[in-house]
Amino acid sequence: MATQIVMDRTGDTRHNFDAKNADALLRAEERFRELTGAGYIAAVRTSSGEPVVKRAFDPNAEETLFFPRLVGG
Amino acid sequence: MSGQLLRKANERLRLFLSECGRRARVLQRQSNRTDPPPRFVQDFRYGYWEREARGLELLKEWLSPEQFAQYDAKSYFEVTGCHSGKRYRISHGTSMNVHELDGAGFPCVSWCFMPKGYLVAGDVMLAQKIALETDEHGALAVANKWSVPTSRRNMHPQY
Repeated sequence: MATQIVMDRTGDTRHNFDAKNADALLRAEERFRELTGAGYIAAVRTSSGEPVVKRAFDPNAEETLFFPRLVGG
Repeated sequence: MSGQLLRKANERLRLFLSECGRRARVLQRQSNRTDPPPRFVQDFRYGYWEREARGLELLKEWLSPEQFAQYDAKSYFEVTGCHSGKRYRISHGTSMNVHELDGAGFPCVSWCFMPKGYLVAGDVMLAQKIALETDEHGALAVANKWSVPTSRRNMHPQY
């Protein structure tokens, strides 16, 4: 089961989906495009735990984290 | 005479408190009938502490074991900028909590940047960590910067 985690006011919202299911994968890709199109940054972790930013949908990613674009404080 | 005045005052006080109680009951009935604003239902379906805990849980999942141990012990953790190799300290908080460290490990510059919108502290710190570790220049480009006063540089942990 793969997960897309979106940071929000509640802490985060998690979207779980079966990466082997074509429909679920398509919906996950659409969500990825919608979020990154809205300015969210997508990141995954490598096997060693280091974060990597993803510009395109990775169907093999088990966990993708989305956070809003950065602004100066 | 004074007893009569006392009885009248007592009666007025009783009526006043009775009226207060009646108004309170009316207000309570009205508030029960009125749904809370949708944004509160949608965005704040969890309590403050639950939201904070969720954010910290997510942060801890993404911290390296060293960062996790450091944060657990000191409420801050350090990251290495992917472009410059500089060390940054991210302290618990949502703003003004990122400090660049000098060669001796003391804060020398403060950087202020965070994800847009309201997020809990754990989420903000995680976004700051990922930004510095994957796109240091991009993060610092949007950040506001100021120098840490020399007198405060050896203060711990914020300065």
